[in-house]
Amino acid sequence: MNTSMGKKAGIVLASAFGLALFSAGPLVLTASAEDVPQGFKKGELAPEPAADMIEAGKRVYFTKCVWCHGVDGAGDGPGADRLWPRPRNFNQGTFKIRHTASGELPLFDAKKPTPGQNDLFETVTHGLPGSAMPSWEGILTEEQRLQVLSFVTTQLVKDRKFTDKQSESQTILQLADLKPKEATEESKKRGSELIVEKKCVECHGMEGRGDGNAFNLKDDWGFSIQPANWHKCWNFRGSRQDPYNVKNIFRTFSTGVNGTPMPSFADSTSVDDRWDIANFVNSLCERDPEGNPLSIDPQTDKPKVNFVLPSNPVEGEIPMDMENEAWQKTQKRLIAMGGQITHKPRNFVNRIDDLWVRSLYNEKSIVYLIEWDDRTKSVAEGKLPWAPTQVNIDVKEQDPKTGEEGSIAAHQNNYAVYNDAVAIETPVKWQDLPAPIKPRYLFGSNEQYPVDIVKWEADGSFRAFKGTGWDKDFEERDSYEENLKVLKSEWKNGRWYVMLQRPVGNKKDQDYDEDTLFEMGKYIPTVFFAWDGHNGDAGRKMAVSAFYYTFMQPPTPREVYIYPFVIAGGIVLLEAWVLTRRANKRKGKTL
Amino acid sequence: MKALMSVGALVGAIALLLLVGMILDVVPSNTVRLVEGYMPIQMLLEVACFVAGFTGLSYMLSSMGMAVPRFWQGIGFWAFVLLYLKFRVYPPIPFSVRAMYGTVSLVAVFMWVSANEDDWKKFKQPIMNVLDAQSGANKMLRYAYLVLIPVLVGFTSFNAMRPKSEEPVELRTVHPAPPASTKVHGKTYTLQTSQNPYRVNPEGKFDQEYSNKLIVEQGMGRLMAPNANPFDEKNQGYLKYVKEGGEIFFQNCHFCHGDNLNGRGLHAFAFNPIPANFTDPGTIAQLQETFIFWRVAKGGIGLPNEGFPWASVMPPWEQHLTVDEIWKVILFEYWHTGYYPRTWD
Repeated sequence: MNTSMGKKAGIVLASAFGLALFSAGPLVLTASAEDVPQGFKKGELAPEPAADMIEAGKRVYFTKCVWCHGVDGAGDGPGADRLWPRPRNFNQGTFKIRHTASGELPLFDAKKPTPGQNDLFETVTHGLPGSAMPSWEGILTEEQRLQVLSFVTTQLVKDRKFTDKQSESQTILQLADLKPKEATEESKKRGSELIVEKKCVECHGMEGRGDGNAFNLKDDWGFSIQPANWHKCWNFRGSRQDPYNVKNIFRTFSTGVNGTPMPSFADSTSVDDRWDIANFVNSLCERDPEGNPLSIDPQTDKPKVNFVLPSNPVEGEIPMDMENEAWQKTQKRLIAMGGQITHKPRNFVNRIDDLWVRSLYNEKSIVYLIEWDDRTKSVAEGKLPWAPTQVNIDVKEQDPKTGEEGSIAAHQNNYAVYNDAVAIETPVKWQDLPAPIKPRYLFGSNEQYPVDIVKWEADGSFRAFKGTGWDKDFEERDSYEENLKVLKSEWKNGRWYVMLQRPVGNKKDQDYDEDTLFEMGKYIPTVFFAWDGHNGDAGRKMAVSAFYYTFMQPPTPREVYIYPFVIAGGIVLLEAWVLTRRANKRKGKTL
Repeated sequence: MKALMSVGALVGAIALLLLVGMILDVVPSNTVRLVEGYMPIQMLLEVACFVAGFTGLSYMLSSMGMAVPRFWQGIGFWAFVLLYLKFRVYPPIPFSVRAMYGTVSLVAVFMWVSANEDDWKKFKQPIMNVLDAQSGANKMLRYAYLVLIPVLVGFTSFNAMRPKSEEPVELRTVHPAPPASTKVHGKTYTLQTSQNPYRVNPEGKFDQEYSNKLIVEQGMGRLMAPNANPFDEKNQGYLKYVKEGGEIFFQNCHFCHGDNLNGRGLHAFAFNPIPANFTDPGTIAQLQETFIFWRVAKGGIGLPNEGFPWASVMPPWEQHLTVDEIWKVILFEYWHTGYYPRTWD
């Protein structure tokens, strides 16, 4: 698929090229005699690593890497079957992130750990975000990283040889010499047109959320694979811990991703056009309201999380329209989601890894506007063989033993489809929870301190549940439903927009033992759950967040505007006192 | 002396530029990385480097006739400490702690500038000059302060009084007191007397000395001891079980505790606080194997009320793993981090 697409695009480009040459005469675009794509140069194969490097690397490999990548480097270690994406199978010599042309081996030189000239070294150093491969910098020394790569490239890559001049060549993207084009509006606009022209949107989706053709894509080993979501650049495998750097996108677009349906566009796209596309794709990545990149937490390489979710007051009705000023002025919060892997059915691979949540309230209700990227809209087709409220059910889990039939990757995109869904959990008696029974357990502490769960599903239902402990099934509450309201639910181009309203409650006529009372100016522990129906998510197989705090911002009290003036006045008096004192003292001295 | 001082000055200037550059994002903020596990010592070294640099800088400047007044030296150094604590130390320390360090360093700066009468005079001279306002410039300055200070204080108090939504601080107990015994899969284990049944030599006898010889080596990388590869098929005893424990770890635990057992797993970023870091000398290295056995088997929910407050969503692994599997995982965790479990005596 890889090469054929490249060829086709090449022919189209060649004809376009011909026309351009006729019309414009001498162009900047000059294909060299060697027929190297623009921006690339022929390079030399690196020498074979020294034998002692390989031997030392074996020790590193069997301490750190073997657990996922396997004894023979076939990507079938003990951890492999519960991971998706699966660990790399080294045997074929297929590597994703490279500076070399499509289909070629990546750059690796055991003597030269130079950034930009040693792809495999950079992969081990920075890890592959969005997969289980961590950054090994600070854990392994530079030397150790080079050693383990010497072992992998010589002993575990079996079908190809890094030093074989007969069969291997290196055509290297000269990224250091290419100056990024400034990300002007014009450049981004041109990029937005090019991604349609180059058919990027067919896989990556109309808004670049990776939702196009998400089901038919397979990698070289036949495992299901998903197009990248351009809005989460911190999950780009090639982001090199520098996710907002446009060069990473330019590189991936120029060299393609070996072993996947992502081709190289180097033959068919001029360097200038490639910068336009890279600038546009980079501009899509989530940014703060001022348009600055989100700050990335160096501990996790994901955006920093603020655990307080502010809810702003509105007078009268809460607007249902997202474009309304009240919503636009409200701070969006990133809610980080992990897989629920504590109780069966467990979710080792959560496809929803974050939500964006905003909130507004008035005296009667609080509304959460929840947005999240989901490549597929899922409405239940089959009936779940167990009740979705049940926990600890006896289901067949992914086979943890090595062997690909039972693995998550083999199952992926073959699950029975259930409802996409999202739920908000709040403890009922958060005011008087003693410290030991703090709502630290998801799903409630016990009968005395339950949690209040409201769950929206893609079939349109919005129901309330009670949770009384993480080992306990949820209990559905019959009567509370009528208080709940879905103000909006829409799936568009790979993103859900759901606006959920629930009562804030009051002390007078609220069933205080059943519902959460939302009090202004208090920190109300809040947990979010999310389900991706096409991932087989149902019941407790879901994504969960940590405890956040809903904080209903009180209007500013009047004293706040008065006291500072009083204090400032006091300071003026103090100053006068100090000055007089000093003046008197001086007088006394001089006299 | 001069040469030494100029080297100091050079170091100081470069370090200062680098720090400011990293704060303002002119150079990438990861130019000088914090090395995991060596953070406190690295911080001390860095600050020492800065102090040496400042000494050199001030010496050079004064020898060039551009001496910095003692007043500004004091203020500047205090500002540096505050900025360093705020922007350099990672993970960030809460404001209350920073305020404490700030006060301590303020006191230190005062002690430094008032070490003798001369210094103290030199230090307060600029303040007195402004108060007395003998020259035109000082008069201007005095009026400016007269207006600026009340405005600043008023604004700060307004900011402080405005309703804010900062994350409430929640403390947690890291190592809650264990019970005397724990019942797992129908069998009671006394924590003081139980032993890991897989810490055995090839003959199958409990042998801590034998297993201690085969754990990974301390130091960068924590690599396995030479000729102690758990994947060697000829292994009997300890190393064979380490491999089996590793298999269980990489099917169940690494999602949170990480591929390198440092608490940075695939799902770690969704947690608050992030999961336990076993490579930190403050976690499993401080504990007995039976303590870990109890924690793994009972999870966060099994923590005693006396040990509150705590924060853990670790499941009771007895629901997913057999007793044998739990012991093997523990064996693996000690092997992989290169720590010896503590013993009861």
